[in-house]
Amino acid sequence: MATTPSSQPIVHLSNVDKDYKLGAVTVTALRQVSLEIAPGEFTVIAGPSGSGKTTLLNLIGCVDVATRGQVIVAGQDTGKLAEGDLTRLRLNALGFIFQSFNLVGVLDAFQNVEFPLLLQKKMNAAQRKERVMDLLNRVGIAEYAHHRPGELSGGQRQRVAIARALVTLPRIVLADEPTANLDSVTGNQILDLMQELNREGTTFLFSTHDPKVVSRAGRVVRLVDGRIVAEETAEQYQTRQA
Amino acid sequence: MFTLLQIAARNLARNRKRTLLLGGAIAIVTVLLVLLTALFNGTQASMLRNATTLSTGHVNVAGFYKITSGTAAPVVTNYKKLREIVEKETPGLQSVVVRGRGFGKLVSDVSSQMAVVSGIDIEQEANFKNILEIVHGDVTKLSEPHAILIFEQTAERLELKIGDNVTLSSQTFRGAANSIDCKVVAIAKPLGMFSSFFSYVPMTTLRELYGFDPATAGGIQLYLKDWEQAEAVAARLRVELVKSGYRVMDHTEKPYWQKFDIVKREDWTGQKIDVTTWMDEDPFMRWTLVGFRAIIVIVFMVLLAIIIIGVMNTLWMAIRERTREVGALRAIGMQRHTVLAMFVTEGALLALISSTAGAILGVLAAYGLNAAHLKMIKGFQMVLMSETVTLLVNVPTVLLSLVVIAGVTTLGSILPAWRAARLQPVEAMHSSN
Repeated sequence: MATTPSSQPIVHLSNVDKDYKLGAVTVTALRQVSLEIAPGEFTVIAGPSGSGKTTLLNLIGCVDVATRGQVIVAGQDTGKLAEGDLTRLRLNALGFIFQSFNLVGVLDAFQNVEFPLLLQKKMNAAQRKERVMDLLNRVGIAEYAHHRPGELSGGQRQRVAIARALVTLPRIVLADEPTANLDSVTGNQILDLMQELNREGTTFLFSTHDPKVVSRAGRVVRLVDGRIVAEETAEQYQTRQA
Repeated sequence: MFTLLQIAARNLARNRKRTLLLGGAIAIVTVLLVLLTALFNGTQASMLRNATTLSTGHVNVAGFYKITSGTAAPVVTNYKKLREIVEKETPGLQSVVVRGRGFGKLVSDVSSQMAVVSGIDIEQEANFKNILEIVHGDVTKLSEPHAILIFEQTAERLELKIGDNVTLSSQTFRGAANSIDCKVVAIAKPLGMFSSFFSYVPMTTLRELYGFDPATAGGIQLYLKDWEQAEAVAARLRVELVKSGYRVMDHTEKPYWQKFDIVKREDWTGQKIDVTTWMDEDPFMRWTLVGFRAIIVIVFMVLLAIIIIGVMNTLWMAIRERTREVGALRAIGMQRHTVLAMFVTEGALLALISSTAGAILGVLAAYGLNAAHLKMIKGFQMVLMSETVTLLVNVPTVLLSLVVIAGVTTLGSILPAWRAARLQPVEAMHSSN
């Protein structure tokens, strides 16, 4: 199912805690989390609501920073990076797929996918067009390139989001409940697509509590109350759940 | 940048009602500003044209002659020599008019009043005939000796009509009282507040009243190609006249008829030259223009404040609605400054389109109002020296209005845009908005 992980991890978490202040109360969302993600993995962070899945994904996605411990992404210690450097790291090393797609409503599919390349300022228009159309073809919605998100179905929007996440050739794609807003047929199609991309070498890290997603994982990291309680295969996870 | 512009334009189009409401408000403010500045320019031009024809040049070279320290006559002797120097030393000179200056009492059979008396050579003053609206009599008869032109208020107060005699009395050069009888040949419509105590007689008559010889005049009125250079030209002439051997009075922002008492108290005799501008000689016009400008600035500031609040409010709403989008864009790698630019572009685009539309509408409205020849109410006619509302559309002023409105409106969008840029991606992405 998953490709064989290579030795050098893309993500390395060591004894990570994450606290949130809610008024006078401090809530600890993650406790002593240590984790490594190697290139080519298709990993799922599973757990019930409130277990800290999204928080963990946010830390790895560099949209949040750890309270204690060390988070290394693509070789960079995120705790030591300034805001601008974190943003650059997200742009160049990470791809995001959101539960509710989060496309720019006023841009069409092509422009949404092209947007990260514009932010990178590394390619000219012809190169961008080639890359974007290649990806739109890859995710099967090239014919909808000039449709805006409002004119697309949920599944098509998520395909656009996947293309957008992949367009910068990131080291890892983070997907937060990517099938939660999709019907089961579309959800399965999206997962098929991600698995196919994974087989071609893209590293994926999901957060989900959807058993269908978990069943596809090469590795399942199980979170409970902010702690990693197990790292297991999808079969082990399903057996235990059953 | 093009994509940011596209996002801004499409977001504005998507929120059509909100965009139309705020854009309309910005356009209306621009229309008002264009109209107010055009009204100011028109009023200024009209007042300046009228005042500089009736009582002053853009720059005036005049002065006082004191035969004893306690007297003061508003004259320059040997004015031809002075005129030669002045003409040579005045850059951008368009024309020159020589006038007589006097101040005396007009006495009719029923009443009397103090009056500023100007001596003019009507045959050389084409503008004078064009500017004044003669309601009775004939202005060209001012070429006849002992003729006098008065304004309607004076005619009413002294109960004078065409052909009546009025006695003009004043103190001569040597301090003796003198008077001459003048015949009313023309009665003009009032032209500003001061016309109620202005009157005109031929130069020869004024010389006769004061006992001046033909080489004496009240002052030389200079008309410049660019009236805005008046202050600079006056300053230059003060220096050049000193170099030419004249004694020049210190500059005082007062008309000559308010300087008699000051000059009389000064301990000197002989000739002193006084170089003034139209603003010095017509303080009422200066105050009117300053007041008018202040009103425009206040109105403009209030309108701008409303617009800025509107822009900020609208952008707050837009940002609240798009918080998740901002979070997602930040997550995929958009830097804070790009988020700032995205929202400022939206504000700037709205401001530019609206203020351009407003400027065009304002110009059209100004031309429309001019074409309608709207009459001003009496009080304003007196103050603004014009019967009709006159708007002068000045392209640089319109462009400045456009730039100021667009610029300030854009500035108003910076604070909400900055707040959007400061949003933490993690919080923005999980916002409930």
